Amino acid sequence: MLDEAATDTMITQISDSLYTHLIKTYDGNLPSAGLHSLDEIRTQAFERFKSMGFPTVKQEDWKYTNVQPLIGQRYSLDTEMPSGTPALDKALIPKLDAHRIVLVNGRYSSELSTDEEIPGLQIMPIEQAFDRLCFAKYFAAYADKTDNPFVALNTASFTSGLFIEVGKSRQLQKPIHIIHVAATDKPLFTQTRNLYVMGAFAEAEIIESFITEDGAEHNLNNQVSEIVLRENAKLQHYYLQVAGPQSNYLNHTEVHQEKHSLYNNYNCSFPGAAFVRNNINVQMGDSEVESHLYGIALTAGNQLVDNHTIVDHIKPHCESYEWYKNITQDTSTAVFNGKIFVRLDAQKTNAFQQNNNMLIGEKSAIYTKPQLEIFADDVKCSHGCTIGQFDNEALFYLRARGISEAQARVLLVHAFAFDVTSRFLNAAVREYVEHLVEEGL
Amino acid sequence: MLSIKNLHASVEDKAILKGLDLEVKAGEVHAIMGPNGSGKSTLGNVLAGREAYEVTEGEVLLDGSDLLALSPEDRAREGVFLAFQYPIEIPGVSNINFLKTALSEIRAYKGLPPMEARDFLKKVKEKQQLVEFDAKLANRSLNEGFSGGEKKRNEIFQLAMLEPKLAILDETDSGLDIDALRIVARGVNQLRADNNAFILITHYQRLLEYIVPDFVHVLYNGRIVRSGTKELALELEEKGYDWIKETVDA
Amino acid sequence: MLDGCPSTYLITFWRCVMSTKDDALLKELTLEEYKYGFTTDIEMDIAPKGLTEDTVRLISAKKNEPEWLLEWRLKALQHFLKMDMPTWQNFENPDVDFQDISYYAAPKAKPKLNSLDEVDPELLSTFAKLGIPLDEQKVLAGVVAVDAVFDSVSVKTTFREKLKEQGVIFSSFGEAVQEHPELIRQYLGTVVPQTDNVYAALNSAVFSDGSFVYIPKGVRCPMELSTYFRINAENTGQFERTLIIADEGAYVSYLEGCTAPMRDENQMHAAVVELIALKDAEIKYSTVQNWYPGDKDGKGGIYNFVTKRGICKGDHSKISWTQVETGSAITWKYPGVILKGDHSVGEFYSVALTRNKQVADTGTKMIHLGKNTRSKIISKGISAGVSHNSYRGLVKIGPGADNSRNFTQCDSLLIGDRCGAHTFPYIESRNKTAKLEHEATTSKIGEDQLFYLTQRGIDPEKAVGLIVNGYAKEVLNQLPMEFAVEAQKLLAISLEGSVG
Repeated sequence: MLDEAATDTMITQISDSLYTHLIKTYDGNLPSAGLHSLDEIRTQAFERFKSMGFPTVKQEDWKYTNVQPLIGQRYSLDTEMPSGTPALDKALIPKLDAHRIVLVNGRYSSELSTDEEIPGLQIMPIEQAFDRLCFAKYFAAYADKTDNPFVALNTASFTSGLFIEVGKSRQLQKPIHIIHVAATDKPLFTQTRNLYVMGAFAEAEIIESFITEDGAEHNLNNQVSEIVLRENAKLQHYYLQVAGPQSNYLNHTEVHQEKHSLYNNYNCSFPGAAFVRNNINVQMGDSEVESHLYGIALTAGNQLVDNHTIVDHIKPHCESYEWYKNITQDTSTAVFNGKIFVRLDAQKTNAFQQNNNMLIGEKSAIYTKPQLEIFADDVKCSHGCTIGQFDNEALFYLRARGISEAQARVLLVHAFAFDVTSRFLNAAVREYVEHLVEEGL
Repeated sequence: MLSIKNLHASVEDKAILKGLDLEVKAGEVHAIMGPNGSGKSTLGNVLAGREAYEVTEGEVLLDGSDLLALSPEDRAREGVFLAFQYPIEIPGVSNINFLKTALSEIRAYKGLPPMEARDFLKKVKEKQQLVEFDAKLANRSLNEGFSGGEKKRNEIFQLAMLEPKLAILDETDSGLDIDALRIVARGVNQLRADNNAFILITHYQRLLEYIVPDFVHVLYNGRIVRSGTKELALELEEKGYDWIKETVDA
Repeated sequence: MLDGCPSTYLITFWRCVMSTKDDALLKELTLEEYKYGFTTDIEMDIAPKGLTEDTVRLISAKKNEPEWLLEWRLKALQHFLKMDMPTWQNFENPDVDFQDISYYAAPKAKPKLNSLDEVDPELLSTFAKLGIPLDEQKVLAGVVAVDAVFDSVSVKTTFREKLKEQGVIFSSFGEAVQEHPELIRQYLGTVVPQTDNVYAALNSAVFSDGSFVYIPKGVRCPMELSTYFRINAENTGQFERTLIIADEGAYVSYLEGCTAPMRDENQMHAAVVELIALKDAEIKYSTVQNWYPGDKDGKGGIYNFVTKRGICKGDHSKISWTQVETGSAITWKYPGVILKGDHSVGEFYSVALTRNKQVADTGTKMIHLGKNTRSKIISKGISAGVSHNSYRGLVKIGPGADNSRNFTQCDSLLIGDRCGAHTFPYIESRNKTAKLEHEATTSKIGEDQLFYLTQRGIDPEKAVGLIVNGYAKEVLNQLPMEFAVEAQKLLAISLEGSVG
């Protein structure tokens, strides 16, 4: 025992101490629920993770986003509920009437969640869903096909998360508001795994907020969400990143869409969390599918927000629409990488992508790569990208009407974000986000 | 109200205004005419405080205090309004939100509380009618997709809403058809009062048929070379600017 | 160690052109096969296959190079041996056996040629077939000047004297090493470092010849200078090196054209081009690349792996790249500009057309370092058959590049449903006063446009040619007149068989 502890101390000195820690903890000792099929998936995923290791900036997908400082630290892997009840006020959205689900460090808190019976809606901790039919069918079916080592790690060793199933033809009256709270008194590495399944013709709205408890210790959160939309299902999905500077996130979202389904993602990041990497991948697995991806990243301080999206047009007659806006202040960095694939024979595809950036901070940086890979000819695809600042003419016009420079800037940023915020279907969320944009300046 | 003495201004080190003097009293309407490149628009921009325009000499007093020391927004709050020759389009900023912000900031500067929403909307409605400004336009993004005439009418609508002391209309008549010109002029005429003043910057006499000025000044080569009443404008119309150039240059 | 080898050889061919406007403008568009696919029999000196220090020493010795240049080559070889092949590209990297290539091939001819009479008649007829006049007498005075280099050795330079009067140096690289070593030493490898990429390292070690241009202060080069490259040899690679220096206030327009014979084996062309524009200087570099693309099954063809880069070293300097890429099995190049001087300008205009199994992965790098620097990128990709055409570009704004501007437009046109068009723009800004704009569209060739033209009696293939030429116009307009006509023909010819 003593020897081991000594080795541990040594390992924290080297840059990939988390890697070593994970291998030591999980090699031959992966979490198990006694289900052979799941154990098998976990073992294979762990092997993949071991062979890939953590990514470096030499890898194209991580070129601008260095995870080495994050994984070079020592974390506790123990995600037991902290004592005391964390405050949720930072996640509250005025005027929003929603079912509330709270995950503390990835663990479902029945105490903090609203506990109502809603016909056709199943919400439970993921570890209670292992025996469900659609878990067996969809778990690790899509996200694990990507080469993201964090997904492999998550699949191998997650112990908590959320399972949602919206039954066939169920149209939820109220949105589901999921609040992810980071609350820890020691440096913590969490791994959350979510699976959301939308039955055929089902309609729902899921809003996810990320917050940090005041005074929480440094934490790194590796979350993977798999989302399946059956035929004709519709999902409105919001990410509201309002966590504190102690929190760091690796969020991988893998969406699989069946025929005639609609998936809208609204991905917003605000000043706070030191490191945010979102991977949002949408697989348009059948024809007549529609997806919209909207994003706003307003960054400040020394933040890094990296949004990587993939829209994969696999079948013909699909439509995707993507618009991301970044506003960087101070010494912060925003990264955008939008890949659109149009596969062979995915004819009659419409794919639109736009990325606009306002670089405001004297020492801030923007790295963007709007990327098209097209293998079919009867398609309409376009992308555009701009990087600019405040328009001096517009600033002068507003000031000449008596508006202070600071207020004029707020108005202009508000206007800049408008292309995206105006697409939010939920008015309460839209107002809340507009307010956060103003506040974040 | 406004007192300009020996004003020299330059853009990118090129001298444009070269010793301009002008006195404007409350209740007056002054027209400033002149050939292209004489410095007409420069005057408007200098008074409103556009950054690229550098004042190299002279002074401008508004009710006795130094106007040139103020930021553009403080000039606006003190009551200087420039109706832009080319109003900018700002997509995403709604006309109404913009006006509400401007009005609130001007009121705050004067120590007044923000206007009640209902009073504000009443005022908007009233002033819209004054310049026949389509209510739909008022709810759209600032000048976005507006026609030339709609942009100019929006300038006058803002003028009506903000009720400035001194309004400078920079070639507001350019690009307007006769109907739009009449509407703009009627708006201005109704806003004329004992406690405000107007400076009309224009190339043509046409506008002055609808807004009758108390004084007409001819700007040439950065200075006012001739002043008179509205008859001077007619004379200019008849004889052309070459007449001025000849008499001045000679 | 060199043995005569009459069956394989390689020609590099230069010319100077001063375009006349009416020149061949109205020549009919003729659709034809790859017409430059012939070979010529001539006695050759060919180095044995393989790449070792000895190979490098042999090349250097053959060219009678000074010690420092040999050292420089050897250093590059060391880098090359240590470097890995890149893996980031989205096409299959061909497995090149660097030991199975001959790195030096030269015609067994007289060491130095002074008049056309001394040029091997076979060679002259080769040039004639290529439509490139070598004989000063046969050309309108002052219209075309040619410097022909045959298999890494300069064969003949025309109009050199005339250029010399103005102080313009235009010679083969080898000659420049002998005659102007100080200039070579000062600038060689300063824009494309040996370690830039694996092919640049290889070129630095084994480059055979190439062209050298120096335009002195304040001189506007009176002619358009031109290189005509031709690969003829089997199992040889071509590794030429071009260095162009425009001194303060100078101007030069430089053209480059390429063809190669049809062969079943792939051949490698790994050139390096370095441009240096000093204060107020301008360099315009145009390329019409028509290397043998391989047959319709993808057999044979040139691997065109070229590193081209310019530096706007001085304030108010300008470098403009224009390229029309229709040939090669694989084209892999990113002509870039380092905008170091304040107010400097970089431009990149490109048309890349691929068909059959061709691959083109091309684009540019605009590195903004100086204040008020401007760059403009116009890229038009046309893919047909089962080919793949990628735009890959980098626009980078450094922290000191205040008020920099970039505009990028990359459009892709697809002809047929089995080809691919891809766009990989990297856009990086670290300055709050910079403004960048990037636009890209992908579309198929307009059926209604095609129908309209065919309804008016135009043959469908010609109609495609017309539409494609219209689509590429913005880029073709950047080319000097004579090249523009050539490029238009080339686009039409290359599209043959891609309709229906």
